[in-house]
Amino acid sequence: MFTNITVGLVPPLLIASAFLLPIFTLAIKRKSFYDVYALLTSGIALVITAYNYYLVTYVVKGPIVYKFGGWPPPVGIVYEVDALSAYFGLMISAIMFLVSIYSIWYLRGRGGYEWYYTLLLGLEAGMIGCVYTGDAFNLFVMIEVLSVAAYGLVVFYRTSHEAVEAGMKYSLIGATATTIYFIALVFIYGSFGTLNMADIALKSRGGSYFPFSGSVVGNIHLATAIALALSMWTFTFKAAVVPNHFWLPDAHPAAPTPISAVLSGLVVKVGVYSIIRFTYTLFGMDSLSPIANSVNVIMKLLMLLGALSALTASALMIVQRDIKRLIAYSTIMHVGLIVMGASLGTSIGIEAALYHALNHAIGKALLFLSAGVLINVAMSRDIDAISGVGRYLPLTTFTLIAAILSLEGLPPFAGFFSKLLLYQAFIDSGLIVLAMVLIISSAFALLAYIKLLYGVYFKLPIKELKKVKEEAIYLIPLLTLTALLVILGVTAPAFVSQVLKPISQELLNPMNYIKAAEEVARVISR
Amino acid sequence: MELNIDLNAFLANISLLSLIAIIGISLYGILARPNIIKKIIALTIFTDAANLLAILVGFRAPPSQPPVLLTIKPSPEELQSFSQVAVDPLPQALVLTAVVIGMAVNLLIIFIALQVYRLYGTLDVRRIRRLKG
Repeated sequence: MFTNITVGLVPPLLIASAFLLPIFTLAIKRKSFYDVYALLTSGIALVITAYNYYLVTYVVKGPIVYKFGGWPPPVGIVYEVDALSAYFGLMISAIMFLVSIYSIWYLRGRGGYEWYYTLLLGLEAGMIGCVYTGDAFNLFVMIEVLSVAAYGLVVFYRTSHEAVEAGMKYSLIGATATTIYFIALVFIYGSFGTLNMADIALKSRGGSYFPFSGSVVGNIHLATAIALALSMWTFTFKAAVVPNHFWLPDAHPAAPTPISAVLSGLVVKVGVYSIIRFTYTLFGMDSLSPIANSVNVIMKLLMLLGALSALTASALMIVQRDIKRLIAYSTIMHVGLIVMGASLGTSIGIEAALYHALNHAIGKALLFLSAGVLINVAMSRDIDAISGVGRYLPLTTFTLIAAILSLEGLPPFAGFFSKLLLYQAFIDSGLIVLAMVLIISSAFALLAYIKLLYGVYFKLPIKELKKVKEEAIYLIPLLTLTALLVILGVTAPAFVSQVLKPISQELLNPMNYIKAAEEVARVISR
Repeated sequence: MELNIDLNAFLANISLLSLIAIIGISLYGILARPNIIKKIIALTIFTDAANLLAILVGFRAPPSQPPVLLTIKPSPEELQSFSQVAVDPLPQALVLTAVVIGMAVNLLIIFIALQVYRLYGTLDVRRIRRLKG
């Protein structure tokens, strides 16, 4: 048993600092104060999540449980951080930190920065809460925290027709989706009598005894099938898997550019995380056989939907004229690939999916952030209007090309290795069709990326621009992300065996996850 | 003639069926009605139906009593009889949380709808789609 305050600290700290921020607006008007405030808070979150990752992988070598208010697991809300949660938590806080550096530049000369930072910190709190929580109902609360912040940020430019219309669509269907997850929770609670993830996992595997917890009621197989179907609808909506992708191409481009990077790079990953958590830890292939059957059906469906997402989105990428919309469609394609990898159920499939999730988060954030610099110079999001602007911004164009090469999958960058791993996972499972989907969708995407690159750099500018000086404040996050892509690519074999292997082992043997929570409960019940 | 019906089971089934019907109707309202305000009303009906479903799960047929112990240090026998009649408080706590969250989300959506009306001059999604063009 190991419990640590740092596990429970991050989301409450971020929420408190987000709610404290509007109070400062009564006294302080200077933008630099809010810049430093957001930077400091997300920096602290980065340090703590990195420390949690270190604890989980090297010190404890197993999940850490934190009890809120001292209540033992099935009774109270717990945060349970295992290797998967720690991996996603570190990824989220690292990219959020870089995005808040970039935001200092982006918000220069724009109003409303105090509300922007409030929502940004709320978004980070929601995302880290989602990946850290060990309670299915707390996951619902944290998804709502994340969603409210995301709706607010999509309509940040509230006088823009496009943003308001996209925000309306996103928020209305998003609220419906989270309510559907609530209904799924009602079914889970009604049959399992608990909302603690470890307890549900134990009971779905036929285990009997968990301290302070009753026995199951009624037909848990039917209830699980209904709950899984309903919650997968919500998670595929959050992850933007076809056919629940319709909001993404409108909502992501309408948001401010740093927020587009966060929404595309990280928020969809929370959906992917929840899918993995539900289909491996809560209910898995090793559950009681009727539950395992329904998990199997869900996995097959996810595989199909993932393949459909990859194909449709990559085909639609080619016809886009808006640079941010093109990048948003690429997000749907990559999420499709990640979901395909995660739904294989093999350890190499999980590793490939998680590796690709990280590479896509970094690459997509980098692509959006460097495109934001170009958009800012060209004052337009149309690829034709941006033509030639890249010649004035050599370093930004360099990072843009690095991001494109990584997402497309070229050797020095990390994207190549994760696509290779995905390919290998598909071949190992004997699914040649999926490997072909991977190649075909990459080929489609290549056409779109060539159009983008040709427009940005090789075409002549349509109008003469003044000499533009690139600023260090946005080059720091851009070059850091590029360096991360190269480092992750160069160290790919070590990264897979050192970082991803433990996660996939833990996901395929969820008993560790269950035991950690059970032990905490048992110590108190003595 | 004596009616041989378990009244509690009958009522529970009736409410379950009507809740499922409400969920279906409100989903139709969210997806198919063109007016945004009517979509939002359908959304609130949908969340209320979900909350009622949660309350229904916590239902305990009488004899039942609120989950409040009146003695400070109960004996094991008292606890035993208490657990036979006490209602599960957790679904109500879940519903309270969900209601508060739902209110915040609804308010935000209504503000966005207001902004849509200010910009487009209409709340009909078909006309908004045409105006965006």
